[in-house]
Amino acid sequence: MIRARSETLRSEVVRKSVKPSPSIGGGSTSGQASHERPTRKVFDAVSEKRTFEAELHPALLTEEMVLEVDGFSLFYGAAQALWEISMGIPKGKVTALIGPSGCGKSTLLRSVNRMNDLIDTVRISGTMRLNGDAIYAPGVDVIELRKRIGMVFQKPNPFPMSIFENVIYSLRIDGERKKSVLEEVCEASLRGAGLWEEVKDRLHDSALRLSGGQQQRLCIARAIAAEPEVLLLDEPCSALDPIATGRIEDLIEELKGSYSILMVTHNMQQASRTSDYTAFMYLGRLVEYGPTEELFVQPRLSETEDYVTGRFG
Amino acid sequence: MVNARPRRVRTTRRSVKIAERIAQTLISIGGIGTIVAVSLIMVFLVWVVAPLVGGATTGPEARVSFPEQPGSLRAAESLESRERPLAGECVDAQVDEYRLLAWSVYTDGTFVVRRLDRGDELVRRALVPDGDPSGTSAIGAPSAIGVDVERGALGLGFADGSVRLGTVDFTAELLSGEGAARFEALAPGARETDGARVVERSEDGVLRAQTCRVAIGEPLDTGTTSAVVLIDQLETDAGRTLATWHADDSLALYRVVERENLMTGEITRKLESGRVSFARPDGFTPCRLLVSSGGSSTYLLSRDGRAARFDTRDPSAPALAELVDLLPETDAELTTARFLLGRTTLLVGDRRGGLGAYFVVKPDGATTRDGAHLVLAHELGREDEARGGSPAVVALATSQRTRLVAVAYADGAIHVFNVTSGKDLGELRVDGDIAALALAPKDDALIAFGAHGAHGAHGAHGASVWSFDPQHSEVTFAALFRPVWYEGYGGPEHVWQSSSGTDDFEPKLGLVPLVFGTLKATFYSLLFGVPIAILAALFSSEFLAPKVRVPIKSTVEIMAGLPSVVLGFLAAVIFAPFVQDVVPAVLASFATLPLALLAGAYAWQLLPQRLAVRLSDWRRFACIVAMLPVGVALAAWLGPHVESWLFAGDVKLWLSGERGSPFGGWMLLFTPLAALAVAISGSQFVTPWLRARSFGWGRAACARADLGRFAFNVLATFALAAALSGACAALGFDARGSFVDTFVQRNALVVGFVMGFAIIPIIYTIAEDALTSVPSHLRLASLAAGATPWQTAVHVILPTAASGLFSAVMVGLGRAVGETMIVLMATGNTPVMDWNMFSGFRTLSANIATELPEAVKNSTHYRTLFLAALLLFALTFAVNTAAEIVRQRFRRRAYQL
Ligand SMILES: Nc1ncnc2c1ncn2[C@@H]1O[C@H](COP(=O)(O)OP(=O)(O)O)[C@@H](O)[C@H]1O
Ligand SMILES: [Mg+2]
Repeated sequence: MIRARSETLRSEVVRKSVKPSPSIGGGSTSGQASHERPTRKVFDAVSEKRTFEAELHPALLTEEMVLEVDGFSLFYGAAQALWEISMGIPKGKVTALIGPSGCGKSTLLRSVNRMNDLIDTVRISGTMRLNGDAIYAPGVDVIELRKRIGMVFQKPNPFPMSIFENVIYSLRIDGERKKSVLEEVCEASLRGAGLWEEVKDRLHDSALRLSGGQQQRLCIARAIAAEPEVLLLDEPCSALDPIATGRIEDLIEELKGSYSILMVTHNMQQASRTSDYTAFMYLGRLVEYGPTEELFVQPRLSETEDYVTGRFG
Repeated sequence: MVNARPRRVRTTRRSVKIAERIAQTLISIGGIGTIVAVSLIMVFLVWVVAPLVGGATTGPEARVSFPEQPGSLRAAESLESRERPLAGECVDAQVDEYRLLAWSVYTDGTFVVRRLDRGDELVRRALVPDGDPSGTSAIGAPSAIGVDVERGALGLGFADGSVRLGTVDFTAELLSGEGAARFEALAPGARETDGARVVERSEDGVLRAQTCRVAIGEPLDTGTTSAVVLIDQLETDAGRTLATWHADDSLALYRVVERENLMTGEITRKLESGRVSFARPDGFTPCRLLVSSGGSSTYLLSRDGRAARFDTRDPSAPALAELVDLLPETDAELTTARFLLGRTTLLVGDRRGGLGAYFVVKPDGATTRDGAHLVLAHELGREDEARGGSPAVVALATSQRTRLVAVAYADGAIHVFNVTSGKDLGELRVDGDIAALALAPKDDALIAFGAHGAHGAHGAHGASVWSFDPQHSEVTFAALFRPVWYEGYGGPEHVWQSSSGTDDFEPKLGLVPLVFGTLKATFYSLLFGVPIAILAALFSSEFLAPKVRVPIKSTVEIMAGLPSVVLGFLAAVIFAPFVQDVVPAVLASFATLPLALLAGAYAWQLLPQRLAVRLSDWRRFACIVAMLPVGVALAAWLGPHVESWLFAGDVKLWLSGERGSPFGGWMLLFTPLAALAVAISGSQFVTPWLRARSFGWGRAACARADLGRFAFNVLATFALAAALSGACAALGFDARGSFVDTFVQRNALVVGFVMGFAIIPIIYTIAEDALTSVPSHLRLASLAAGATPWQTAVHVILPTAASGLFSAVMVGLGRAVGETMIVLMATGNTPVMDWNMFSGFRTLSANIATELPEAVKNSTHYRTLFLAALLLFALTFAVNTAAEIVRQRFRRRAYQL
């Protein structure tokens, strides 16, 4: 039943993507022109409690997707938090999720590694695929699934252990015991997270003694130590000061290419600086999704423009 | 535009201020009051306990001089009275319990009774008149005098080999009516001499007349004509035992059996006698003869410190048991010797100021004919003895109710010691030589009788009297907390035995067995309680939905309120007898229950995946509900087999060491250890190997491999345990006697289980709080990294909550330490010290509960019980403080996260 439904949705996505966009290269006037009509469209969808067909930029069609989301809806009890989201996350690119608070960004992110399973009241429909493997299907081993996905949270959350133990946590739980392997992975991951030089002399100190920014980079190192197929970052800089934020942004820049990153951010500049693609969400609906530059410079929908220019949100 | 409404000025109302004031005052009073109350309890405990440490208190010295020429001498009873010069030295002396009179016996056979406060002689007589009408030669000065001050018995030996027995006793008589009229004018506390008696009006107005009577019996024919050199006699309920040492180097023993003919009322005396001659070694000059309690041993002491101990259990056949040198130093010289209360401990004083307490012990492999050896148990010395020896011991006096000995030294110093504890109660001094010492019958006065020409006004003969209170002589720090060599024990031991049926019983107040019992109870209850409580807390905090968790937690918290008397009752009346019936099955269940549960978990993996996923909600339930009964049934079935394989068919007999090989006990110990070893080495070596091999296997194949590995592990465990046990048994080690030993129905296992049940709720509650207060972002981080909930719990939650769990355990420990009712009801309350899980014990708390109601207020026992309470208080205080400190640290750490 679920499978059948996902097949139809999948074809729908394809159809939608093929459909030519009405206002490519419209410039600022096109933004101006689309100001009246589409606004009604999203707000109508919200007020009529129905789904909204997202505005997808054709540039996405050229990308190979690591993660495909098809008609994914999520309910917290009776409250619907995600409304038939359909989108693909390109491989080796940074995709930013933006939108006002409470629009479902974190929910969507948590759905990817099925962390929402921990909440009793959650029900879902639709499908997600990680490199072609269904995420929501009976018989999926959630633990194995999560091992393929890395996640970094809003607040730095290192374990109260040594820096070394933190980084190699995923290997520990996999039962890896070889010291050489562990040390190698630790160094590579810390280098990858740009933390190696700062901590190489105190790998066995408690991770809690690091500064907030260092802790967050440690969390990233911990996530990439597992060689995830996709890395989920949920507002990774919102608890950090501007300098630490800058470093994390640089780091994301560096990780681009080797990792596929899906990042939630509140900070429009951050999204524009670091991401290749940006998706704008509003009240559980995906509104517009496209290359970051297009979305910020010439958004197709006026809601998007209003949001990125700070007129609401 | 002027705003019509004026700006509201913020002021605090008076009522608010007053309420604030009142609240502040009340809260301060409450807080300070609580602190003061707790401190007061502490202060009170210390206040009650404090007197234990002090020495004796003595009043000022009262000197009494004994006039050389008494004003009036009175006839005593039927014996002729005559004035005798006091030619001999004082042999022994005693005062009555009201300290009105004192009698003294002199070496020449003179007996004198004096008023103690003034020294007036009331009676002076020869014990045996010269012209005794009986016509025998047992008259005149005795050649040997033996006095049993305790019993008021006299034994006199004569040069012709005959003996006479006598008694000396005090009689107090309350005067009333006519007899009292004469003493109308006597003020309370005043005394008056009335013939041979002294009348005193006591402080509460009662007139009491005190008399001292001495009676000497007819001469007894001992069947020898050799002069009696030394004599001692022992008065028991069965009759008297008399020992004499004769000039012909023979020891004679007599048991005088008195039988009253029920028909005629006629008393017949029978003398059972035995004789043994003793070839004195060179330099053995007998100076004291002493018959021990029950007449079992007779000691002949030589001046040079050697002792010949005769086995006189059968008085008709005495024989030398051993010859012991009590004073091995070459120049040592024995000056005085005496029995301590109970006539078992021999006190020997020497010229160098040493005082030794000796008694017989019955070690295994003793070579003497009665299987006993005389050993030196305590050495009592003055503080200054170390500095080049103190003056010679000249006289000893023993208490009639406790194990006190007063020791007089040649330099006029008097020390009082408690023999068992060795406590020196302090020093008193007199000028001049001391001939005899006496401790008043109630231990409330110490009297030193001076030698002739000494110790009195103008060189007269006299005495010094001190009122005296030994306080708590039994108690020293060492006596409470270190092994003490009690009379009759084979060596120093920790013993608690505060009361007994007999009078000459010595209270043994070693607190260590009680502390040990407390620790044992705590240990076994933590052994059961902690794993269950912590695992339960882990389960409910990590694996249960909040919807289920909250009611479960409240239920467990309510369980904490279950009165411990109910648990104790269940333990004592139902659980203990039940366990006794099924000991082997209980032992088997330690192995079968975990095995069954694990087997269930492995079997679960064998289920087809589809089914397993569909039923995953029922997984734990199915495992537990289905496998628990399987485990229990297996244990019940295995019980008898285990019993016959390992424990020679009867585990209780096996435990008491009566049969079977030690193998079974080692199996008991090694099985869990082997399981641990196998599990660790399995995860170290087998699992990686299996992991490498199993790459690409199907789920079912993996599950089968896993099950196989589990079966292999089980077999390996038992094989390893059996091998180790076999080795231990072959090497001759036996576990019996340590952690397994004789089975007692109310034992540590039962108590541990039930008390474990009592402490589970509190540990569970605190541990659950600690676990749930681990920030959820850590849990999420771990789960998001692909850890299973179980891995998350072990790798992240437990280490993070470790200090909280520690404090939970400490609080549980505090509860177990102070727990009273369960241990009182279910331990059997025997203050034994061994780790045997099948024996009982006595805890500090249960001991206080049982003994405090019957302890005499302000007695040593009473104060020692308060000390036990203080100890308990300190113990729980320390435990709770440690828990609190750790908890504070934990809280700080939790904030950091
Ligand atoms: N555990 C939850 N239970 C119920 N509702 C939730 C839960 N988490 C989030 N929501 C709701 O889902 C919506 C989306 O939340 P979220 O994904 O956290 O938003 P964002 O991350 O975009 O700020 C919000 O309306 C929020 O109230
Ligand atoms: Mg969010």
